[in-house]
Amino acid sequence: MSAEEALEYIKSHQEGVLQSDLWKVLNIDSRKCSRIVAKLMKESLITREIESIDGIRTYRLLYADRTHSRRFKSLMAVDIFEPCAGCIEECMPEHCAKLSEWIFAIVIGEDEEGEISKIPLQDHGPASP
Amino acid sequence: MAAVQETIYRAYLNKLVGDEGLLIVENIPSEEITDERLAEITGISLNTVRRTLYLLYEHRLAVYRRKRDPDSGWLTYLWQLCPENFDKALESEARRLLRKLEDRLCYEKNNIFYACTEGCARFVFDDASDANFICPYCQNSLEYMENAKVVETIERQIDELRRCL
Repeated sequence: MSAEEALEYIKSHQEGVLQSDLWKVLNIDSRKCSRIVAKLMKESLITREIESIDGIRTYRLLYADRTHSRRFKSLMAVDIFEPCAGCIEECMPEHCAKLSEWIFAIVIGEDEEGEISKIPLQDHGPASP
Repeated sequence: MAAVQETIYRAYLNKLVGDEGLLIVENIPSEEITDERLAEITGISLNTVRRTLYLLYEHRLAVYRRKRDPDSGWLTYLWQLCPENFDKALESEARRLLRKLEDRLCYEKNNIFYACTEGCARFVFDDASDANFICPYCQNSLEYMENAKVVETIERQIDELRRCL
């Protein structure tokens, strides 16, 4: 039983899976299950919440995929990742062409009525002619 | 490496290290691996592999351990990805972007803009006036440009960024 198979099982259960059930279902021992869970947690693929079942403490394991994408969706607008990540140029947010391009791309992308027929892709800054 | 299947992580990594870098990341196993081995697996030059790994290291998305060969005395670098730091890295990017958008919002609110009718560029009133409302790039005229939608977009992005932090 690999971590991938355990992940697939957790993924297929929207309400999550109890760790105390997981090792039985997957036909592995609880120690191996703990190791797999630790690996998946380390890779941020699952999250877990403490839960008590019949007075016995266990964990509810939840598939973490997509929750991060939802959380950080504002970093990615109109399918373009925000331009400041990894940028090493001198920063002038007022005149940054890349930032302007990103903001204007969002404005144009949301212009469903076509009110904005033409928008410049850059700002005239201090370094421009 | 299953952790980089997620869209937002892939987009972030792609922004940091490009297409080749992303391919390298995809081939980093859970266990440690050397840069030479990664170059072998991916067919990407050792220089690019090293540059990618150091970029990841700078952003705390990868770590290395040095191991000295007892016979030759050579140092080997063993690399590992740190997917547990991906969210922290994205949080830090979100904070940085937030500061920049706040500065940009002030600029948008405190200025009046004119734009080239051919779409060359946008100018603040003083610059447009100095240029006699003629575009210095294409010599067409500059016309008043409403920036309410730009302001609205920045405000919404700021709001969403604050909510994700």
